[in-house]
Amino acid sequence: MDRDERIESVKKAFGAKILGADRVRGIPVVTAAKQDIPAIASHMHRASDLRGTLSLQWAVDLRPRLAAYRIYYLFTLSGGPWLMLQTELYGEDRLFPSITPRIHAAKWYEREIRDMFGLIAEGHPDLRRLVRHEHWPKGTHPLKKDFSWNHVMGRQDGEYHFRQIEGEGVFEVPVGPIHAGIIEPGHFRFSVAGEPIMQLEVRHFWKHRGVEKLFENLTWAEGVSLAEKVSGDTSFGHSLCYCQAAESLLGIEVPPRANYLRSLFLELERLHNHIGDVGAICNDAAYALALAHCGRMKERIMQINDSLTGSRFLRGLNRVGGLSIDLPSDQLDAAALALKKIEEDFTDLSKIIFNNASLTDRLETTGILKERTARDHGVMGVVGRASNIDRDVRRDHPFAAYDRLRFKVPIYRYGDVRARLRVRVDEVHESMDLIRQALENLPVGPITNAALPAPQPGDWALSAVEGWRGEILYFVMAGEEGKIHRCKVRDPSFVIWPAIQFAVLGNIIPDFPLINKSFNLSYAGTDL
Amino acid sequence: MGPVSVMIESALITVVQMVVALTASPFIVGLIRKVKARLQCRQGPGWLQPYYDLAKLFRKDVVASTHTSWIFTATPYILFASTLTAVLLVPIFLSKVPLNFAGDAITVVYLLALGTFFLMLAGLDAGSAFGGMGSSREAIVASLTEPAMILSIFAVGLTAGSTNLSTIVHKTALLQGIVTDPPPHLMALAALFIVTLAETGRVPVDNPATHLELTMIHEAMILEYSGRYLALIEWASALKLLLFLTLMSNIFAPWGIATEREPVWMILGVGVWLIKICGLAVLIGVIESMFAKLRLFRVTDFLGLAFILSLLAIIFFYILRG
Repeated sequence: MDRDERIESVKKAFGAKILGADRVRGIPVVTAAKQDIPAIASHMHRASDLRGTLSLQWAVDLRPRLAAYRIYYLFTLSGGPWLMLQTELYGEDRLFPSITPRIHAAKWYEREIRDMFGLIAEGHPDLRRLVRHEHWPKGTHPLKKDFSWNHVMGRQDGEYHFRQIEGEGVFEVPVGPIHAGIIEPGHFRFSVAGEPIMQLEVRHFWKHRGVEKLFENLTWAEGVSLAEKVSGDTSFGHSLCYCQAAESLLGIEVPPRANYLRSLFLELERLHNHIGDVGAICNDAAYALALAHCGRMKERIMQINDSLTGSRFLRGLNRVGGLSIDLPSDQLDAAALALKKIEEDFTDLSKIIFNNASLTDRLETTGILKERTARDHGVMGVVGRASNIDRDVRRDHPFAAYDRLRFKVPIYRYGDVRARLRVRVDEVHESMDLIRQALENLPVGPITNAALPAPQPGDWALSAVEGWRGEILYFVMAGEEGKIHRCKVRDPSFVIWPAIQFAVLGNIIPDFPLINKSFNLSYAGTDL
Repeated sequence: MGPVSVMIESALITVVQMVVALTASPFIVGLIRKVKARLQCRQGPGWLQPYYDLAKLFRKDVVASTHTSWIFTATPYILFASTLTAVLLVPIFLSKVPLNFAGDAITVVYLLALGTFFLMLAGLDAGSAFGGMGSSREAIVASLTEPAMILSIFAVGLTAGSTNLSTIVHKTALLQGIVTDPPPHLMALAALFIVTLAETGRVPVDNPATHLELTMIHEAMILEYSGRYLALIEWASALKLLLFLTLMSNIFAPWGIATEREPVWMILGVGVWLIKICGLAVLIGVIESMFAKLRLFRVTDFLGLAFILSLLAIIFFYILRG
């Protein structure tokens, strides 16, 4: 089906309620009045020819150009194409209708919009503060344009009310935000009857850094290094997504060699994280042997990163328009040789892991994320692919050099810890293969396109990257004087965290660390 | 020799046994860690690390929650004292320990249970979320290991005609009508081995190396402890491990132990005993590297197996005796 047909489908259903339909850089955008949004969004979510998953919902303060807020809804339709919906709130209007009652995936987005902009989603079933913890003073909404980036906040008292289950023998177990290991801050509140978990509530956002606000003071070139710091373990994925959004907005063509190298680096990042995760998952079942070997392999890959680029985390590589360094072919050949050795070791180790009966017993049937639950939350990435959700940005919205590389997208149906482990193991092999292909077909030529034209204020672009956790999204809007007006960052973790609350139900408390590790979500990626 | 010099000699031997046990126990803990590290292609910490750890903890101040009662303060001492007393009742290098009049196998089991009991109370005492979980889990494990442990010692005690550990070891060492029927003994040994893994908090029952509070059993109970209290508890845990390894090696294969109070034999006895328990420690290290930890609710099946094995050992004893 052509994309315009999708717009036609919405137009046919709603007629005059559609105020405008446009295509911006290939993405169909439907505009509607705010009172019609729930019905239209619901249609995009449920209509049999659309079946859209809400991938992102965000707001933009359009001041000073226009005294209005715009709210965007991004749907990923079945098969991958995007469809956007937008509405505007004018003047002093602070209310917009919530779509959460109809589309569960909007739940955290609407709470986030309320905290960041003070716009209230009417009819939202749970309007407790999400990002803005209770000690933030009333009326502080950092992403409003009249809130300066260096504003020093006061402090107020307040209490967050956890969902509670009451009854004989039901206890609450608070875990975090300070943990025993080297883990980021996150609070988990369990209600347990003995060992079985009756309910889990995740309470995050302990270290708000004002990332999205900081973007708004930067030029397009300066934004790259901030994007690298959104989530340290996904430095390259985030900076790539940012650069792609900026390049799309500025209309910059990236040279082919840079595209191949970007794919190569993205796969290197996937490799070291996936291999580290495989070991860490096994270690949480007290199988330390796998951790030791995976730790060794992960370290080798990070050393390869270092020797190729000078950064173990692949930082400082991306720039708007391409890459900042080129690599000589003898270095690449040496890296390929080292990776081959690691792949052999990893193949042996994965056999040992999957042949170990005591380990398999721990992994199977533990922490099942049902396909239905995953769909309702808009879950994708490694976790989604383990729950039969066949989405991969590399295939659905090819970026960098992925339209010229062959790879399989591993899908498992059971949604348990073992399925998530299997997806990672399979993807390690796919990544190795992708790196080989990229190296074989690496074109020669320049690695950057230096011209940085200035975009029209108010123009925007959207970009997606399949990071190692899943789909990273960046929305950028141009402001005055070559500055960024708005940069919305979405790490896949933001989407998947709420889903983990459902995956643990029916499991026992001592299995939670294992389940959590098999998700391995980023805290920093949500603490923007 | 007069009765006074015998008494002095007995006291001396008891003191030596105490020193040997206190010195050797951290080494065994370190040995298991070393074996695991080597199997993971790691160098692992040095041999003296467990001693350094204890020394460091003894020097540190104690931090205790204001919610705690006298139980929290008393538990490390009770645990350490009861475990050390239990160790003195078990023949290590001399088959007839001087203190054998003071108690038999049942005393040993309940001395250990006393320590565990107070440790569980201490876990609850601070009122933290993890301590309570650890205590409730430890209660499950302890209640299942206790009968299995008693029965497996009884299976050997039946052949020796006594529950006194010194008598059992002495008779077995001199081959006095013992080990005529290996199957019951092997079953009892297997049962005691499972009990050892559970009681000393090893994989697949518990993971002594984890930082994940939610999965802990033993470690969760002692999370609130610090400084010299923690040192006492850690040392008591090491002693308990040593005690179980000694039980396994000396009840089931005591050969090499001194049966007379001859210094030469006793020194030889220490050497042979060390070799045996080191062998068992290596075995535990290998098992910890080979297996994942069981799901918590599968632990009961695993401990049930130990109970059945020790019960069968006793039944077989009567069947084979006719």
